[in-house]
Amino acid sequence: MSEEALPAVLEVAGLRSGYHGVTVLKDLDFTVRNEIFTVLGANGAGKTTLLATLARLIPLTAGTIRFQGEDVSALAPYRTAARGIGYVPQESGTFADLTVLENLKIGGMIGQRSREERIAEVFDLFPVLRKLQAQTAGTLSGGESRMVACGRALMQDPKLLLLDEPTAGLSPLYVDLFFDKIKEIHETRGVAIVLAEQNATKALEVADRVMVLSLGQAFAAQDAAEVTTQQLKEGYRI
Amino acid sequence: MTFDFLDSFLITGLFSVVMVTGLALLLHLQLGLTRIANFGVVGFWGIGMYVFGVLYVKVDWSFGDPYQFLVCAAIATIASGLAGLLVGWLIADLDTDGVLVVTLGFATAVQLVATAQDDITGGARGMGGLDFPFDIGKVKDNELLWLGFTMAVVAGILFYVWRVHRSPYGRHLIAVGANERLARSLGKSTSRTKLWLFVIASAAMGLLGAMNGVMVRFLDIGNLGIDITLAAMAGLILGGTARVWGAVVGVFLTVGVFDIVIQSYLPLPREWYTQAIPVMREAIFGLTLIIVLLFRPYGILGDMRRDSLMRKIHGR
Ligand SMILES: Nc1ncnc2c1ncn2[C@@H]1O[C@H](COP(=O)(O)OP(=O)(O)OP(=O)(O)O)[C@@H](O)[C@H]1O
Ligand SMILES: [Mg+2]
Repeated sequence: MSEEALPAVLEVAGLRSGYHGVTVLKDLDFTVRNEIFTVLGANGAGKTTLLATLARLIPLTAGTIRFQGEDVSALAPYRTAARGIGYVPQESGTFADLTVLENLKIGGMIGQRSREERIAEVFDLFPVLRKLQAQTAGTLSGGESRMVACGRALMQDPKLLLLDEPTAGLSPLYVDLFFDKIKEIHETRGVAIVLAEQNATKALEVADRVMVLSLGQAFAAQDAAEVTTQQLKEGYRI
Repeated sequence: MTFDFLDSFLITGLFSVVMVTGLALLLHLQLGLTRIANFGVVGFWGIGMYVFGVLYVKVDWSFGDPYQFLVCAAIATIASGLAGLLVGWLIADLDTDGVLVVTLGFATAVQLVATAQDDITGGARGMGGLDFPFDIGKVKDNELLWLGFTMAVVAGILFYVWRVHRSPYGRHLIAVGANERLARSLGKSTSRTKLWLFVIASAAMGLLGAMNGVMVRFLDIGNLGIDITLAAMAGLILGGTARVWGAVVGVFLTVGVFDIVIQSYLPLPREWYTQAIPVMREAIFGLTLIIVLLFRPYGILGDMRRDSLMRKIHGR
């Protein structure tokens, strides 16, 4: 397969992490290339824990995370962000007291390219935000603030984007729009994406490869097209 | 030009308003923008005052004023900045409760040390010997000029705070205050930003402390109690923690009313001023804090930008 030839963006080996001595993720091994890599799993499977661990917001208790060949397992979150890992959390992904424009500006604190250029790109990707730019993020609707959160992370010019259930709680129209945007971000900017999702049908449409998480353990990552209903059922323990 | 209407009560009152405004402006950066409730304002201020006083009075300088003042004040400012570095480092990963305990504990420690080291600080007896770094004639003239210098410093602080509001650094402070977890993944160290804030604000509090020492010319550990922290906090919260002008407006309405209007313009019996009024002042400031926090948590001037912004957006 041609994908196998792509260099690894993220290599995870023997990863364990959790909260206060409770291990949530148990020995995860997977590799993300320049692709849309979807992590599927039911509520409580450990998707948020995994993404927060990759963003270095939760310490790992074992294993390694390599990003573009470099071991980032022990780096502070701001350092991994500076190296090119963008993170959009499941909840509160914006700064409520700042305006939409300020949220984008603060995302662009780092990065080489002109900030105006990057802001214009975010507005092209999410045209609604152009009109809302003077509004405080705390007063936005759910869908709007997801766009701001996503735009803010893109302002960092990431090489890898961690998206935690970006469409949870959105209306079907917004869900479709968001999945289109995710594909667009990956295809036009060449950003690798790790997408945590519950919505298997939608996620399988955009994903290149899929990993099913169940109670903190992973079923081997595989091409999205080859995932069978049986595997999903096992993953979701239906 | 004569300033006959300015009697020494009025000058003292104005000085107290200016001083507390300066502290409230600095506290605004910590509490208003970054949501760090620093209850140790008096600690940093007191270190500045005492380091300045002890150096000025006890050390035999080979040069006189104004250099003696400048050198002592510079060292006092640095000392408070270093205390800010220490406290900032201690509270780096603490939540609101932790910050409260550490900052309050720090301020108490400063007072205890100043009391215990009485051979250096004069302790409970107090320490005299401080003076203005100039002499232009009568005490009142000197006080008036010193009030002018202090106003200039506080105006400088106001300008700095106003600039911070519009700078990337200020945005980072607001981001840290609004959502620290998310701010940690922005690509710039939040701990460094918070530490820098504490160093700068504490150093400036120390400078104000040194300037206060010059004005009162007598150091008294009674100044190291919670009073000035409470005054700065009550003023800031009444005016509005999130706004640059909140500190100015609020301090005028609290300290201004007490130290200027009541002290100078109400025909109250003299003995009230030494006994009842200071106690009433504390009680009313405390009460103001409680009432404002209950009924209008963003103070008179309101939330950061939300009020005016929502009016603009919805045309109200
Ligand atoms: N802060 C925390 N402290 C302790 N346990 C936690 C914490 N956060 C999550 N957990 C536990 O970790 C497990 C995994 O949670 P996680 O949030 O990663 O699941 P998820 O797959 O993201 O679920 P969802 O789809 O509902 O978002 C759950 O059992 C949860 O109870
Ligand atoms: Mg989750």
